[in-house]
Amino acid sequence: MTCAEALRVQAYFDAELAPDDAASIERHLPRCPGCRTLLAELEQTRATLKNVPQVHAPAALRANIFAALDAEEVAAAQAAPAKPVTAKSVSAKPARGATIRTRPFWLGAFAGLGVSALAAALFAFVMLPFAAGPTVDGLLTAHLQSLEPQRLVTVVSSEHHTVKPWFGGHADVSPTVADFSARGFTLVGGRADPLLGQRAAVTVYRHGKHVINVFAWSNKNMVLPEATTRNGYRLLFWRSADLAYCAVSDTTWNAMEELRGLIEAQIVAEQRVEISRGLDEKE
Amino acid sequence: MSDERRRFEAEVLPHLDAAYRFARWLSSAPGHADDVVQDAMLRAFRGFGAFRGADPRAWLFAIVRNCHSTALAQQRRRASDPLPGVDVGMEFVAPDAGPELEALRRDDQRAIDRLLAALPEPYREVLVLRELEELDYRDIATIAGIPIGTVMSRLARARAALRQEWQRTLKETA
Repeated sequence: MTCAEALRVQAYFDAELAPDDAASIERHLPRCPGCRTLLAELEQTRATLKNVPQVHAPAALRANIFAALDAEEVAAAQAAPAKPVTAKSVSAKPARGATIRTRPFWLGAFAGLGVSALAAALFAFVMLPFAAGPTVDGLLTAHLQSLEPQRLVTVVSSEHHTVKPWFGGHADVSPTVADFSARGFTLVGGRADPLLGQRAAVTVYRHGKHVINVFAWSNKNMVLPEATTRNGYRLLFWRSADLAYCAVSDTTWNAMEELRGLIEAQIVAEQRVEISRGLDEKE
Repeated sequence: MSDERRRFEAEVLPHLDAAYRFARWLSSAPGHADDVVQDAMLRAFRGFGAFRGADPRAWLFAIVRNCHSTALAQQRRRASDPLPGVDVGMEFVAPDAGPELEALRRDDQRAIDRLLAALPEPYREVLVLRELEELDYRDIATIAGIPIGTVMSRLARARAALRQEWQRTLKETA
């Protein structure tokens, strides 16, 4: 009953055929009702499977993996000096021991100085670039907590008219909020997270299978961290108008940059509306 | 943090959720996926220096599958009891639809989830890798350790079986 071409039709459906073979299937399909039905069924099955729920790795598993990786690095660092250095051991794990610090590098460097004022001054100088650390940690923690059941959004809405006023009463800042569904970034809702001693406004978007949290907080003179990957999550920072933003997600950099571009364009568009309103009032 | 660790976190760790899902489909015995994925990540980290492939996800999946087989063999050695069944409560990610649509979707989700879990493992495996993880035949063949022809025939049978069961479910609920 099944046509001899059935497996090739499936391969065609899975985009596994070379152009010539694909063309021969395309010629075969109009002549073979069985294969046309098969193709329609394959499409149906795929659509049905789109309903399979997306499960995420539990936060505890993630934490355990990081602990195991940390332990692995420490073990490698401790083992490294004891082992005689052979060509083999060097090539197997290049420079791993050398790059691991069990304490901050400046402790050793300053140990002999004995001039506490100078040390303090240098300490502040050296530490300044690392001040970003707590921000990244805080943002990542907030992102992970939001992925726990029922924690993602406090105000559920795909309407920016609902989310924006909600921020007014619950967060310390009121960032630009818009739905970019047409571009693949669906507005899910918002919440307020404590961050850097204020209530940051968090706008939540969904992009395919990925959640993107966009944090916004007021910042004065703070040096924003570089874009970074931490624990498998990407953090992208930027500044628009008088607010600092950070998008956190496990999606691609391209997607995050695209969302950032959309938000920035929206901010500019809203400013333009405000300016033209101001002009209208003057007239 | 070493450069290797940084690279590992940038290239391999983003696939943690996918690896966990795959392990869940291989066996949903409680805690099994957690153990398998933790073991797999550590092994992947140890072997990362030697990894030269283009696709870290397929590579990680192959390791997950190895760890799964090893864990199964150990369990069989320890006890002759069969593994617990596959129907375990799933953690759902909050869907983005309204409440009524959401309830409908959840019913569908549970049903399709049950049907997929009920497929025999060799069929479930290729179907999950193709449809949910969108891997190509070659990667699936490597991960499952079978020839491409077997991937194709298993995939065809898995799809046909799932479709048949799904239609029966629809008729029963109608």
